[in-house]
Amino acid sequence: MLTKDQRVPTSLYVRTALITVAFAVGALWLVRALLLDGLVMLASVVSAVTIFLLLVYLRRRYSAMRWMAIGVVFAALFGVYPILFNIYIGFTNMGNGHLFSKEQSIERLESEQYLPEGSSTFEWKGYQSADGYAIVLIDADPPRFVSESGADETVELDPNGEPPATIDDYRVMAPNQVLPIIDSLADLDFGDPDAPVRIQSFRAAAASQQRYRYDADLDAVIDLSNGVPHQAKEGSWVGPDGGELVPGFISVVGADNFDRFLSNDNLRTPLLRVVVWNFAFAFFSVALSFLVGLGVSMLFDDLPGRRIIRALLIVPYPIPVLVSVLIWRSMLNPDLGTIGEFLAAIFGSSPQFFLDPMWTRIALIVVNIYLSYPYFYVVTSGALRVIPEEQYDAAEVDGAGPWQRFRYITFPQLTVIVMPLLIASFSFNFNNFNLVYIFNNGNPPMADTIIPVGQTDILISFIYKLAFVTSGASDYGLGAAISVALFVVVGSITWFQIRATRALEAR
Amino acid sequence: MNRTQTRRAGTVIAALALFVAACSGDDDDTSADSAPASADTETTATTGDSAADTAGDPADTAATDTTGDTVAEGDTGAGSSDNLTLWVYDDGRIEILNELGAEFEEEFGVGVTVEAVDLAELRNQMLLGVEGNGPDLAIIPHDNLGALVENGAVAPADIGDKVSEYLPNAIDGFMYGGELMGVPLAVENIGFFYNTDLVDAAPTTWAEVKDVGGALVAGGTAESAIGLPDLTYNTYPLYTSFGGYIFGRGTDGSFTADDIGMTNDGMVEAMTYIKSLADEGLIPENIDWEASHVLFETGRQPFILTGPWALNRFRDAGVPYAIAPFPAAEAGGEPGYPFLGVQGLIINANSDQLLLAQAFATEKIATEDSMRRIFEAEARPSAWQSVFELADDTDTQGFNSAGVDAQPMPSIPAMGFVWDAWVNAGTLTITGELSPADALEQAVEQIQTQIAES
Repeated sequence: MLTKDQRVPTSLYVRTALITVAFAVGALWLVRALLLDGLVMLASVVSAVTIFLLLVYLRRRYSAMRWMAIGVVFAALFGVYPILFNIYIGFTNMGNGHLFSKEQSIERLESEQYLPEGSSTFEWKGYQSADGYAIVLIDADPPRFVSESGADETVELDPNGEPPATIDDYRVMAPNQVLPIIDSLADLDFGDPDAPVRIQSFRAAAASQQRYRYDADLDAVIDLSNGVPHQAKEGSWVGPDGGELVPGFISVVGADNFDRFLSNDNLRTPLLRVVVWNFAFAFFSVALSFLVGLGVSMLFDDLPGRRIIRALLIVPYPIPVLVSVLIWRSMLNPDLGTIGEFLAAIFGSSPQFFLDPMWTRIALIVVNIYLSYPYFYVVTSGALRVIPEEQYDAAEVDGAGPWQRFRYITFPQLTVIVMPLLIASFSFNFNNFNLVYIFNNGNPPMADTIIPVGQTDILISFIYKLAFVTSGASDYGLGAAISVALFVVVGSITWFQIRATRALEAR
Repeated sequence: MNRTQTRRAGTVIAALALFVAACSGDDDDTSADSAPASADTETTATTGDSAADTAGDPADTAATDTTGDTVAEGDTGAGSSDNLTLWVYDDGRIEILNELGAEFEEEFGVGVTVEAVDLAELRNQMLLGVEGNGPDLAIIPHDNLGALVENGAVAPADIGDKVSEYLPNAIDGFMYGGELMGVPLAVENIGFFYNTDLVDAAPTTWAEVKDVGGALVAGGTAESAIGLPDLTYNTYPLYTSFGGYIFGRGTDGSFTADDIGMTNDGMVEAMTYIKSLADEGLIPENIDWEASHVLFETGRQPFILTGPWALNRFRDAGVPYAIAPFPAAEAGGEPGYPFLGVQGLIINANSDQLLLAQAFATEKIATEDSMRRIFEAEARPSAWQSVFELADDTDTQGFNSAGVDAQPMPSIPAMGFVWDAWVNAGTLTITGELSPADALEQAVEQIQTQIAES
């Protein structure tokens, strides 16, 4: 591992070797555990990371990477891997009823027991000896003594109906000795190995048997109580009558999820309306917040007491969005809210901010302006100072009025500086789930849709409803697929915007 | 020792520690902790050495234990178990549960750790099964049972004959697929509140509600005739009094998604009634939970349909209230019945101390003494019949009389699709975009589409 033409002190060599071996062994063990559980993707990422670290730290050639190595590893594990995993989930059926890997599902099923027909449960008492444990089935007819080692004899109860305190080497256990170990006792087979008795609960023991067994050749789980095989099909164990066993497992279903939402006619009509509103919402939120922020910074920046005014104007920014939106909700209540009553006093009646689609949308954008304008105020405040004073003086000399100065000097240069932030803000508001969800959960509802959708739903809240509220609650596969599609959409918009910015700057 | 040597020694020790940790058994071997010296029946492909490793220790302790006296207080035999973990989603009962857990520990040597965990987090961890850090036991409202059972997260609770000691409705709430999946603790339902200053006696029909409330609104004393905090859970008695229902029962007595009653005449009539209230200006068009409560507690509204959670705020506001059974659709008819919410203790099927957890639930909690003490600690109507009858304060008796026919909320997974669709039907009816019948039709369509897709 270390190049031969290096004279390395023995202690360093030994230490490095030990750490390397320990690290490699630890990584190998982790990968093995992950593979055993069927978590192949995570196992491969961990292996890749291990190999990367070993290379970087052991080969001279890559020594320059050492300072970056840990950062890269964290970025890979917590940034890149979740994205890849998300894309992978979009191609699976992970969700309600499909949360385990196949191995885990088989393990769960094979640990289930059942009572064959005609068998009954018995009250029991525990016994222990140096050889192991045993139980007495008290209300069996006749009462039986069965032990771990295979003994199966009849016993006589004493006149009180209690089993004897000692039987051969075995001594009876009090409940406070039995309970702490009851779960490990439940794993034992007592009595005849062909028809063992097992403990079912604190009160019951019975000759139960394993219910399911996995057959690798058939790739099915056989129900041993009636011999019915349940085929592994797309994450479910399906029997010939269509019945499914619980729990299922995660399996790759290909492009099914994408298919579901792209080709589902029922989804398309609302989807179009939602997309249109989404673009409008993001655009107007950004544009109007920017203009309000710009206006505020131009108006108030030259006044005395600027610091106090600035502190007051920034107030919406640090307040948590949740609190602000809830307060606005109360204020906008048409019957009891401050703004609602105010408007009713002036105009006779208040617009229905939560029931009328148009007014709800206006309210949403107004709240968003309130939440976002401080950011643009701060940004434009700084950006305005960058524009050289001489340009304004020159323009005045040329006879330009205030509006012309704004339009030809301030605005163009400002937009060039602020454009990346506008793009970022657009992307943020495109997915502004918090605001839409807290304000009115996307309502008022649309009247002719096959799934519950609201008039103020944006794509991301629509997806949330699709994947987590409908569709069996927690359909992670569908949610992941839609989020991949959404990523493609937002990514393309952002890419075009950035390209447009470059063209703008070049000019 | 100088620094280099210290560092070297430390590295060697760390490496050795890693070796030992790496080789001493798998994560997956969940039940290996206190396995006695016998065949490990785990079916995962664990290599032979891990079973041999863990089997070594317990066998030793078992041998040494039996040489002494058999009956020793607190002697826990071969290997000791960790405390059971019990998660509750609200903190009212933590103290009494800790007490009961301590008694259980005295008797059997294993204690119970009680923690308050937010309900959504509790559900998530239990749904994740062995991968999650779920508790051994949890207290949940029964409507969460469906999702958990369908994902194999809940083990049956066998309380034997004690079933007859519980309120039948409470047991009903925790039955799933014909088996009892939890031990009920407390029940709750909403009641019909009325302002004793504005109204002398509770109205017996919904028409009377409209008349009385309408008169107060017309006279300027009230701003709204009746408070409907939402159009679904809190308004359910209105729907049921006209004969409406959400899911019917199948042959095995549990709710079934094959029988959706949301488009029946009763529901349509009730929806029409609500629309008429809005049209005549007797209730605000915008249905808001907070607003309806504020109007009642400031005396600007004579009636409201709400539950025990509102008692504190009403008492603080000082509004004179009383709780009555729900009105009926017509004179002499059956009063409407509300949803019954049952809170109970469930056992995590993925727990590695499953039988112990079951024992705690069925032997310690499901007893009259424990149920009575839980009731004394937090006065919620108990699910144990004799303790239920102990409730002697007027408010609780009012809720009990309002909820005498209460039906548990269906806990089948299909119920999760109902809420949004139902609310939307109500909203669309009030705004007039759809007629009551059409709105309910659309709601049922949406529910059935979602059932088909799931």
